[in-house]
Amino acid sequence: MATMVMNRVLRHESILGVLLVAALFVLSAQSEHFWTADNLLNQGRLMAEVGLIALPMTFVIVTGGIDLSVGSIFGLSAILLGVFWQNMGMPLPVAMLAAILVGAVAGLGNGFIITRFKVPPLIATLATLALYRGLAEGISQARSVRGYPEWFFQLGQGEVLGVPTQLWLLIVCFAIAAFILGMTTFGRTTYAIGSNEVAARFSGLKVDRAKLLIYGASGLISGLAAVIFVSRVSTTRSDMGTGYELDVITAVVLGGTSIFGGRGTIIGTGLGLILMQALKNGLALSGVKGDGTIVVIGAVLIAAILVGNLLSRDGD
Amino acid sequence: MNNLLEVSGVSKSFGPVKVLKGISFDVRPGEVHALLGENGAGKSTLIKIVAGVILPDEGEVRLEGKAVRFSSPREAAAHGIATVYQELLLFPDLTVAENIYLGHAPKTRWGTLDWNAMRAGARALLDALDSPDLDVDTPVGKLSVANRQRVEIAKALSQNAKLVIMDEPTAALADADARKLMEVVKRLRDRGVGIIYVSHRLPEIFALADRVTVLRDGTYVGTRPIGEVSESDLVSMMVGRAIDHLFPKAETTPGETVLEVKNLCYRNVVKDISFTLRAGEIVGIAGLVGSGRTETALTIFGITPATSGEIRIDGKPVTISSPDDARRLKIAYVPEDRGLQGLIRPQTVRENVSLAILDRIAKAFVVDRSREGSLARQAIERFGIRTRGPEQRVKQLSGGNQQKVVLAKWVATEPRVLIMDEPTRGIDVGAKAEIHALMSRLAGQGLAVLMISSELPEVLGMSDRVLVMRGGRIVGEFDHKDATPDAVGAAMTAAKLGASLESAPPGLTGAAAS
Amino acid sequence: MTAETMTRPIPIRRWKSVFEAYGQEIVILGVIVLLCIGVWLYNPRFLGANNFLSIFHSNAYIAIAAIGMSLVIISGNIDVSVGSLIGVLGTIAGTMAVNGYPIIFCWLVPILIGMAINAGVGFLVAYVKIPSIVVTLGMLSILKGGLISVTGGAWISNLPPAFMIAQFRLFGIPSSVYFMVVLTVLAALWMKYSVFGRTVYAIGGNPEAARVSGIRIQPSIVGVFTIHGMFAGIAAVLFATQLQVIQSTVPPNLELTVITASVVGGVSILGGTGTVIGSTLAAILFAAIGSSLVFLNVSAYWLRAVQGLMILATVLADMARRRRI
Repeated sequence: MATMVMNRVLRHESILGVLLVAALFVLSAQSEHFWTADNLLNQGRLMAEVGLIALPMTFVIVTGGIDLSVGSIFGLSAILLGVFWQNMGMPLPVAMLAAILVGAVAGLGNGFIITRFKVPPLIATLATLALYRGLAEGISQARSVRGYPEWFFQLGQGEVLGVPTQLWLLIVCFAIAAFILGMTTFGRTTYAIGSNEVAARFSGLKVDRAKLLIYGASGLISGLAAVIFVSRVSTTRSDMGTGYELDVITAVVLGGTSIFGGRGTIIGTGLGLILMQALKNGLALSGVKGDGTIVVIGAVLIAAILVGNLLSRDGD
Repeated sequence: MNNLLEVSGVSKSFGPVKVLKGISFDVRPGEVHALLGENGAGKSTLIKIVAGVILPDEGEVRLEGKAVRFSSPREAAAHGIATVYQELLLFPDLTVAENIYLGHAPKTRWGTLDWNAMRAGARALLDALDSPDLDVDTPVGKLSVANRQRVEIAKALSQNAKLVIMDEPTAALADADARKLMEVVKRLRDRGVGIIYVSHRLPEIFALADRVTVLRDGTYVGTRPIGEVSESDLVSMMVGRAIDHLFPKAETTPGETVLEVKNLCYRNVVKDISFTLRAGEIVGIAGLVGSGRTETALTIFGITPATSGEIRIDGKPVTISSPDDARRLKIAYVPEDRGLQGLIRPQTVRENVSLAILDRIAKAFVVDRSREGSLARQAIERFGIRTRGPEQRVKQLSGGNQQKVVLAKWVATEPRVLIMDEPTRGIDVGAKAEIHALMSRLAGQGLAVLMISSELPEVLGMSDRVLVMRGGRIVGEFDHKDATPDAVGAAMTAAKLGASLESAPPGLTGAAAS
Repeated sequence: MTAETMTRPIPIRRWKSVFEAYGQEIVILGVIVLLCIGVWLYNPRFLGANNFLSIFHSNAYIAIAAIGMSLVIISGNIDVSVGSLIGVLGTIAGTMAVNGYPIIFCWLVPILIGMAINAGVGFLVAYVKIPSIVVTLGMLSILKGGLISVTGGAWISNLPPAFMIAQFRLFGIPSSVYFMVVLTVLAALWMKYSVFGRTVYAIGGNPEAARVSGIRIQPSIVGVFTIHGMFAGIAAVLFATQLQVIQSTVPPNLELTVITASVVGGVSILGGTGTVIGSTLAAILFAAIGSSLVFLNVSAYWLRAVQGLMILATVLADMARRRRI
């Protein structure tokens, strides 16, 4: 019994795993800098923010929804961190918590619009993408905040046992998310909503509550990622997080989660994330600048769904 | 007489299931030809073939003597075949005129749409259908169901149809509207149009049809002129065997009152419903489609919570505002639409069976896989589900076995009230008997069962008591021994006992329209 | 239809049904008027000829892009890449002009390229069945990144005067304004009176019914995206010729502004309703709001928040209206 399940679940993931190994080979052959502890750990540091947000995004997409506003919530939390600390004089730890809480509230706002007003997630989060970013811009008036205390940078630039702090955080959150989605009743509810929301409702599952929690978590984690990011780059600006939704959604979709809902795993998202980061690193090492990289990511997104469509037509 | 339509030896299979087995019948111009059969008999598939939606695997269709093979509905329409479906295929944001002419709108000299001609034409068609009150500029989304139906028929007329197929046209209409519709159908017939009229409502068929063809389990049973056949003849042609053999309802003495419903209302569809349900009994709810039975069930189950009235469990008043509430109160609902509401088709038997009791087979939120697995295996054995194992995807099972999975899911919640909505719809006869046996057994174990069904023989055979609903209200209650097809059928359609719909005095049917 | 039915008088459209059909557009027009009056009372220079005209002139290209976007949304899809597309096409136009190509090519080639790119998008949506949000999200990055990579962020200047079509004036009014009005009217007529136009509404309103009515959905979707590409191309040419230089980036979140114009203009995000007149009026409204902020001494950085609120309010109102229907 267990083997049948494993077979179904791991087919996409195994292809991904093979791809990943192949990519790692190519990249290490291409540049001697790639396969060094320094570089790998640094890549781990860089991908933490997108990685964290990709975790709740997996839940969102598995339910058949989407959250385009994660980048804007990211920016809003980043700005408010600066505002809470500098303009309002809160102690920094409190400001950090408050900024994360703002993210959660923003996410719950999304969830509320989606469940209470039945607005499709695409539209709701497109509107809040504008609204939250607009609030960030309006509040910050394009001023940036600097001068954070030294200990703050431990989070984004420091290490614990030689591994970047945020990478530990990512690993812990990854494990928790994988556990919830794969093993708990909440995870089952998530899959049920994505496969057939009506039947889930008719079976007594609390669909609206689940959605609220998922979108709220998406916002909360975006806020957390923002705090880490600020700690990493030492400053806050209102345009932070612009375009993050692309990276996050690509990682999730690349990992085998179906954009139509009902299928997907956290392990897959993890593999997709690593593959994407490897790709970015490889491009950077061959001298391609950041803008060229997003061209590739965009193409990867489209290609991933295309391949996913083809795969699901053979399988199942 | 030359036949308008001739169907010979038509067969169709969907995967391993043969849905139509060598059907032959014909339709003449200027006749209303009724097509009768239980759910799953193959009526929908047959009319889809005639309408050009799907192609037959074997057999031939001839239109006015010439063999035809339509590869699309548009092609069929171009040849003069129009269909009025049950799920109305209209565009809610476009106007009545535009809906009528969509796909074949009149054009001006320069090739642009001629709105004036469109509106004038629509007006003329609606007047021919005796609907002067319908405004051609109203968006269709704002019309009542009855009016939308008229737009659909006007659409068929606008294509100069020679053959019009109507699939359960009065299913969602109140009596007054249904009678008006029947007038429209008669006008169509008088114009020489041939009409295939698919309907469950026997009184209507007797009022309207010239001939009737009966299908059963995908086979052709027979065609009779309407004057040479009675209701019970038709029922036995549809069902195929004496009623008692099908329904193994054991005699039980009902126990305590479990569920009590008093003056239950939901908006305008559930009106002042009151009844009681006791442990061990099966209460059947009969009624035409649209009479409010499913709506009542959904209100009790919490999908559309009551706007007024009371529900009592074991004598204590309760509030049910969500399916979760209902579930906690040990109320279970096996829904009408198995595929959409009852099952998660891409998931396995194991996952579907445990869906309603996830919290109870979990330890600290973690789903206990081994308990889940044994639950599924037990269900497979107890309910006789024919499957390769708990890991098979539910969508690969037959209709009967899928229904058993839904039933198993709900029985796992250890309910005290079990509501079953159209329990054997779309299920082959063998599986039907199994489901009925299961229902009897569950009632015998002390469950209170509420059974909603559109199949009169099933209601009459399985129920200890029969409630009849019409227009959102309960209009009749019968004990098992008093529940005869005539009595129940009359209550369903508000016709005087023994008389057909046509000869019912206007006062009686007028009072029924609500 | 017999001769007698043709000559029977048809009841004139009642005012009520006109309002039902065009309610949203009338409301927007009303809001524009109120806004203008309000701001003018606060700061009379707001309605000065220069400012008034410049609102139209510098935002005409947005209204034109919104025409194509409205089509896409009515058909039940969305395009979040249009901003980057306009940037790319504008840069192509400018580069060609600076390199001495015949002016007429500099105007037409970007339009054709826009149509080609979006035809590809339409193909992926219609035939490969990739949801439009995903295709255009990917497209957005490909175009945006591609543009910066190729141009390196440089601005294009020294554009030949004959190229600057947006700045040609007729009776003192810039041609961009004429383009906006004429294209909107033509598109509105076309959507109302052509078979294809009605097909788009049908596909968006009830895809299943459209299929059964014999409408070929897939080629129609490709057509919709291609036409959208054409409007994007025209918008790009106007954008490129508005100022003396072409910036390397379009205004940030241009696609969001264009979508806002369509949605606020009455195009339901669920597909099936809305008109291009509404989206043009909404584009003007939005431009007026942007300008008002300046004249009211409110920081322009709040504009994006206003945008978000407008979309949200319109969508919520739309959902409320539909649930009652």
